[in-house]
Amino acid sequence: MAATADIAQANTQAAQTAERWRAVRYLFLIFLGFWLLFTLFPLYFMAITAFKSAAETNLTQPTFWPQEWFPENFVGVFAEPTNFSALVDSFIIATGNTLLSLLLGSLAGYAFARFPRQAGGENMAFWMLSNRMFPPVAILVPMFFLFDNTPWGTDSHISLIILYLVFNLPLATWLMMVFFRDVPHELEEAAYLDGWKPLRAFVKVTLPLVLPGMISVAMLCWIFAWNEYLFANLFVGSDVRTYTIVIPTFTHGSQTLWNLQMAFSLIAMIPPVVLFIVLRRYMVRGLSLGVVKG
Amino acid sequence: MANITIEGLCKGWDFPVIDDLSVEIEEGEFFVVVGPSGIGKTTLLRLIAGLESADRGRILLGEREVTHLPPYRRRVAMTFESYALYPHLTVFENISSPLRARKKDRATIERRVKAVAQLLRIDHLLDRKPGQVSGGQKQRTALGRTLVADPEVFLLDEPISHLDAKIRQDLRMQFHTLEELRRVATLYVTHDYAEALSLGDRIGVMGNGGKLVQIGSARELFERPKALFVAEHLGQPTINAIPSILQEENGSLFACAENAALRLALSPQQSQRLNGGAKRRIVLGLRPQHVRPADELRGRDSEIDAQIDIFEALGSNGIIITKAGGVTITGLTHPERHFEPGQDLRLAIDTEALHIFDAETGLSLLEEPRWQG
Ligand SMILES: Nc1ncnc2c1ncn2[C@@H]1O[C@H](COP(=O)(O)OP(=O)(O)OP(=O)(O)O)[C@@H](O)[C@H]1O
Ligand SMILES: [Mg+2]
Repeated sequence: MAATADIAQANTQAAQTAERWRAVRYLFLIFLGFWLLFTLFPLYFMAITAFKSAAETNLTQPTFWPQEWFPENFVGVFAEPTNFSALVDSFIIATGNTLLSLLLGSLAGYAFARFPRQAGGENMAFWMLSNRMFPPVAILVPMFFLFDNTPWGTDSHISLIILYLVFNLPLATWLMMVFFRDVPHELEEAAYLDGWKPLRAFVKVTLPLVLPGMISVAMLCWIFAWNEYLFANLFVGSDVRTYTIVIPTFTHGSQTLWNLQMAFSLIAMIPPVVLFIVLRRYMVRGLSLGVVKG
Repeated sequence: MANITIEGLCKGWDFPVIDDLSVEIEEGEFFVVVGPSGIGKTTLLRLIAGLESADRGRILLGEREVTHLPPYRRRVAMTFESYALYPHLTVFENISSPLRARKKDRATIERRVKAVAQLLRIDHLLDRKPGQVSGGQKQRTALGRTLVADPEVFLLDEPISHLDAKIRQDLRMQFHTLEELRRVATLYVTHDYAEALSLGDRIGVMGNGGKLVQIGSARELFERPKALFVAEHLGQPTINAIPSILQEENGSLFACAENAALRLALSPQQSQRLNGGAKRRIVLGLRPQHVRPADELRGRDSEIDAQIDIFEALGSNGIIITKAGGVTITGLTHPERHFEPGQDLRLAIDTEALHIFDAETGLSLLEEPRWQG
């Protein structure tokens, strides 16, 4: 008898707990819903603004759906032909910088992971990373004069490709170090004993194992370089223009062509979004760390 | 095809691990290294493989000095305790790695990998990744990768420790006949003393101080251990080690257990070897196989009274753990017999087979001190 009562009580308790959990879950979902609205709304507003007429963007009462659709905006942004070449310039700079960051960051990361003592140890690696912690503005002017004295000047692809290493190389080095550390050294040793020379062993064994991580690092570097504005604004402008410094040019005196600006921004979003979609499969594994255990 | 010659090898980190170790292993010899955990067995193999650099000493494969050669120039194949399988490659690609590194043609690779996989009974797993096979299958994959390599030296670091008893037995038998292994010098590390005694042409027992305490055939090590350490390390159940004092009475020697009533008469030969030495502190080494219930063993035995503590019936023999005169002594009996805890019984001890070690140094007092055989 007592036992049955116990079971009955346990059941009600279990039911109560389940009830409570369900409530918590609903609350959480509601919260997530709000969060989603909050983050997606700017994107939405940007997208519809890109299709509005110039007049409609300046109404005191904003509209949340275009009264009239103006897809011509997307052609209009290229009325200035250098606007298209700006996208190309940005692409060259972002890609060049990413490749260089990956190459140098992998080499350095490997050294920190495998030969910590010879490479200066954890402190050295952390010091490199700490280079990302100062406000970039602090080095804006000195960097300008520094690059101004190089043969290629400031207004060139190469200047920004190299300059962005200041930010991307520490990140790439640190992350690659973490990924290389996750690859047991014994795997490379086994490869040596199989008869592979060090470089071949690296390519055959280590590289495939850090590749997902490497792709994630590439994405982070690429997006930073693609979106950088502060330095680009000061460094380049006539021979080379990045798309980020084109965006403010849609403001003329007191008037801003919001529709064109948003249309151009939307176009500038396409390359990173496409990259993300294509590389997502590898990225997610890379960012969830502990890449290759097993 | 080559001998391994190791001369005065030293290696240490914050403390010496391998210290002035010298040994020569013949081509075709199966040399087993046993020793307690953390003593430096793996370090020795890694030194020979070139994965660690020696602090001092020389390593020769045949006539060729390899002490300072990188691993990929040494033609050495090794299994790792952790297997070190390539997680992104299939079992087939893992096993074929040494062949691919040496640019063998596709047909040869296919043939050799298949043969080895069949031997190790993993031929149905060749397309799987290491993450999709069991621990024992991983170990066999690692062994397979080593066996296909066709090296001058095999270094096997506990290659079959994680397999079930039956496969282990099978592979042990294979090791006896496997031509790959019998052609070249093999260094084999194991914790399993049966494996060591069964496989080793010679066995080296590694002890504290980073040396091989004794090297010899299985029989030699088992019957004439030069140190208590060796005797304790080989044999199952472990040898009884009884701290004792030598006493002389009417011209013959007795070993008396310290603080206990146990007293064993030594044979005249043993007394002669000990050369008097009364009052000397010793450790009496008594293998369980030489301690039996009195009704089972007859002859040149001393008999003592004892009481059963624990009786374990294993498959092929029974183990009796007894108290005799305040000392715990392990002995063997027939598995079909039965004893109750607390039961009195008379034990017979084959005193001819006694080992006597110095209490301080742990060295045998009956064997000639012939070091580094
Ligand atoms: N890279 C290293 N740095 C510092 N100490 C090390 C290093 N490698 C090994 N040692 C030490 O050397 C000693 C011997 O290690 P080793 O791995 O050779 O032992 P082992 O005999 O193989 O043990 P086990 O039977 O447990 O595998 C250990 O005390 C270990 O801590
Ligand atoms: Mg070991």
